Amino acid sequence: MHAIKRSKLATLLLILGAAYCLLPVLWVLIASSKSASELFSTFTLMPSTHLWDNLVDLNGYRDGLYWRWMANTALYAGVGAAASTLISAMAGYALAKFDFPGKSAVFNTILAGVLVPGVILAIPQYLLLAKLGMTNTYWAVLLPSFISPYGIYLARIFAAASVPTEILEATRIDGSGEWRTLGTVVLPMMRTGLVTVFLFQFVAIWNNFMLPYIMLGDDRLYPITVGLSGLLNQGASQPAMYTAVVTGALVSIVPLIALFLTLQRYWQVDLAAGGVKA
Amino acid sequence: MSLTSTAPRKTEAPPAGSPRRRKAKRAGTPYGFLAPAMILFAAFLAAPIFYAAYLSLRKVKVSGLGLGSKSRTEIWAGLDNYTRSLTDPEFLPSVGRVGAYGLIVVPTMLGLALMFALLLDANRTRESIGKFARISIFLPYAVPAVVASLLWGFLYLPRVSPINDIAEALGFAGPNLLSADLTLFAVANIAIWGGTGFNMIVIYTALKAVPTSLYESARIDGASEMAIAWRIKIPIVMPSLVMTFVFSLIATLQVFAEPMTLRPLANTISTTWTPLMKVYRDAFARNDIYAAAATSVIIALATFILSFGFLKLVGRRAFNQED
Amino acid sequence: MKKKFAPLMAAVTAAALFTVTACSSSDSSEEGAVDPNEKVSLTYWTWTPNMDKVVAAWNAKNPNIQVTVNKQDGGDPAVTKLLTAVKAGSGAPDIMQAEYQKVPTLVSADALADISAEVGSLKDKFPAGAWSGVSLGSDAAYGVPQDSGPLMFFYRSDVFEKNGLAAPKTWDDYAAAAEKIHKADAKQYLGTFSANDAGLFTGLAQQAGASWWGVNGDSWTVNINDAATQKVASYWGGLVEKGVMDNKPMYTPEWNAALNDGTQVGWVSAVWAPGVLDGSAKDTKGKWKAAPMPQWDAAAPKTGAWGGSATSVTTQSKHKKQATQFITWLNSDPEALKLLADTAFIYPAANDATSVLTEPPAFFADQADYYTIAGEASKQLSPFTYGPNVNVAYSAFNDAFAKAAEAKKAAAFTESLATMQKTTVDDMKNTGFNVAG
Repeated sequence: MHAIKRSKLATLLLILGAAYCLLPVLWVLIASSKSASELFSTFTLMPSTHLWDNLVDLNGYRDGLYWRWMANTALYAGVGAAASTLISAMAGYALAKFDFPGKSAVFNTILAGVLVPGVILAIPQYLLLAKLGMTNTYWAVLLPSFISPYGIYLARIFAAASVPTEILEATRIDGSGEWRTLGTVVLPMMRTGLVTVFLFQFVAIWNNFMLPYIMLGDDRLYPITVGLSGLLNQGASQPAMYTAVVTGALVSIVPLIALFLTLQRYWQVDLAAGGVKA
Repeated sequence: MSLTSTAPRKTEAPPAGSPRRRKAKRAGTPYGFLAPAMILFAAFLAAPIFYAAYLSLRKVKVSGLGLGSKSRTEIWAGLDNYTRSLTDPEFLPSVGRVGAYGLIVVPTMLGLALMFALLLDANRTRESIGKFARISIFLPYAVPAVVASLLWGFLYLPRVSPINDIAEALGFAGPNLLSADLTLFAVANIAIWGGTGFNMIVIYTALKAVPTSLYESARIDGASEMAIAWRIKIPIVMPSLVMTFVFSLIATLQVFAEPMTLRPLANTISTTWTPLMKVYRDAFARNDIYAAAATSVIIALATFILSFGFLKLVGRRAFNQED
Repeated sequence: MKKKFAPLMAAVTAAALFTVTACSSSDSSEEGAVDPNEKVSLTYWTWTPNMDKVVAAWNAKNPNIQVTVNKQDGGDPAVTKLLTAVKAGSGAPDIMQAEYQKVPTLVSADALADISAEVGSLKDKFPAGAWSGVSLGSDAAYGVPQDSGPLMFFYRSDVFEKNGLAAPKTWDDYAAAAEKIHKADAKQYLGTFSANDAGLFTGLAQQAGASWWGVNGDSWTVNINDAATQKVASYWGGLVEKGVMDNKPMYTPEWNAALNDGTQVGWVSAVWAPGVLDGSAKDTKGKWKAAPMPQWDAAAPKTGAWGGSATSVTTQSKHKKQATQFITWLNSDPEALKLLADTAFIYPAANDATSVLTEPPAFFADQADYYTIAGEASKQLSPFTYGPNVNVAYSAFNDAFAKAAEAKKAAAFTESLATMQKTTVDDMKNTGFNVAG
């Protein structure tokens, strides 16, 4: 009796939570089915039939610029996250499995890096990259995203938890080189954790606004966040743009949702794995 | 290599590939692995930070009317920028606002995340509902803060909001969520919406790592799920809670994208609504990167002190796990 | 006039000399003789809709000077980026759309090149008022005027008719109309006071006779809290306090919806308003009318400006000559003027524009005298000087007036001016400008 009642409450709470989280997504789904004149005039939650028209309009906006933004975002997030994962994995492994002078200094420095807000870094990063003549290029967004203190922090936890020291000793006795061991033994062992780091960094770059906003002047290099925010600004004086913004927002979250659903099992983020063990 | 010469010479010279040679070779390995990270860290994190610190001690001096290319020179400012930043009448209120915002966001978000994680872990719902809820609640994490604020902005504006439509249909006046009294909650809501799912997954992962044997016996003894959660599960996932708390705290102090996106929609969000918005205004609207750098340094220091202070308080275990 | 600006001219000329010498040392190869067959590509930052289509017409005819439009989010973000690029020493475009109020700021930051040597006698093709926006009262030319934004008043003629009202001639009429309309239908407002739009408020102050900045000898004067601006602030504060004027910002989804569904029935705006109304108030097309601005003194009609930009060459451009050729064509060639008016929907500043502006804008298709009203308005512009830190004054406006509008107190409106004045002067002093008073 008691148990059944509680499970109803549990179900209710979880469904309420899901509803709260889905409300804006539902709204954007409905809103993107409306034509520009319906958007703010018909009842908000009443769907309409113009989704396809809106997609066609979005596709037509300045010769398909929107898709270019999506492709750019995929490039920034994909390449950036891949490079960052590899770099983090190497660093995390070194910090977890080696003893060397300066280790704790390095680790504490990286931890401190986790705490620095992007807005603060953006201007000096811009000024420094401008000195190298690299602003307004893909590199301006890619290079700074290669380094992720948070990724290193996570990789260190994963390396500590998933790479047994005995196996490392064994490869050393076999005379295997350290870089070879890294490639053939360590990275495969850390695979699950590294997918998580990759996803983390992928989402972080996908969601980033400030860095590309400052670095890029050419809108053909924009990622989706900067592009959409520009459309929103234009919407202020050309309300027809709001439809493009809303439709664009909807389309932009589809790939990430797909990514989440397909890679669900990797979303097992144990921030304090070692802590539990100890 | 000088160490090898002082090594005891009781045996013959070590053959190539001997343990000692390999050990010497290995001493460089961690540095090799760390090199790419450290170089990038130096270039894109350390250098900008030092550059910001340098800029915070500088200012521009204009001569005369200030028109023309040679009328501006950069000079040392001492602590001028810091004094101006700290004595800015808008600065303290913005700090207070972020404090209040943190008091709303962090406990609510982590409370909800913990609750959902425990509910999911307790397995008291149909599996399909649990799975649906888990994915739905995690979903907002996939929505960039800028896009999330844009969507919620549409939902907040009384004239275009379904919240108000529904309220009016039910016969009472809808709230203006962007009025002076409610703005803080409106901004906090976006952060809670976006962050709960992620923290839920973190805590849920930690809960799944708890061996069921630890609480099976308690269950058999008739302990309620609530009691098991309080006495067994929560203490075990405490390190994870501490970490989510620290990261939430950091994110809170850096609140920026949400109020920035909502600002043009209402009179109630000023350009200095949070300290980071002040940095942005000084750097971009006012073209005064020096004042912006000074405020940045102050924020960075405050973040360090708060996060490390908190970790000291709860013990540094969470950050220092070793095998 | 001439006397007042003499020191300014001296400063600017000196600056121009520096610029020229600096250029000749570094870019002599490009600046020397322009090889007519040299192919150059120029980048152009603008946020005007459809500007890429206007530029396409140029590119088709000038294979050696190809211009690429980089569409920007808007005036403020573009200026932000340009200033950052100037500070960094690279990253700026060749050509930049620059709002008149930003020109002094950009010149002061050494972002805009003086092209007076390249433009020759182009000055004669523009009204003196528009040209002063790029010359800053000197012999320099920091760009070529593109469009201007004289203030006009737009209203729903059907609503006015229903309430037995005529277009307001004076601000007293406007206040009476605002009250009558709101009393008749509590949902309707004749307008809103928008704390987001410092540019509009500046135009209103300009109409009342204010000029916020000025040059006196070798120092700046700042007069934001003067009697004329006080009058404007207390007028709008009074309407908001009475509750007959809305207090929400413009250019929000909500405001757009309000224009369309008939709860905002008037708009104090500028000549470019049809382009906005065409998007925002689609469903009410045909019901709107344009009128001259309400006046403080109907006997001496005046107006202010909201918006309007020049096209400038940046100091980082390596092809100053070609860039100038392009912006000269863009803003003075009859073909380009026609494209600007028809495709980009702007009101070109050049004298020749009258010949291409024969048809009223589509949204006001029934109002044959639309451009006559606009033409009259441009002649009535009050003189106004922008200073080198307009951005500071404007962000102070945003914060102070947002609070005042939210509080709905007329006293708070006038007090906000003191805040703006102090913030602006403090900033100039801190940067080392000579500020009198």
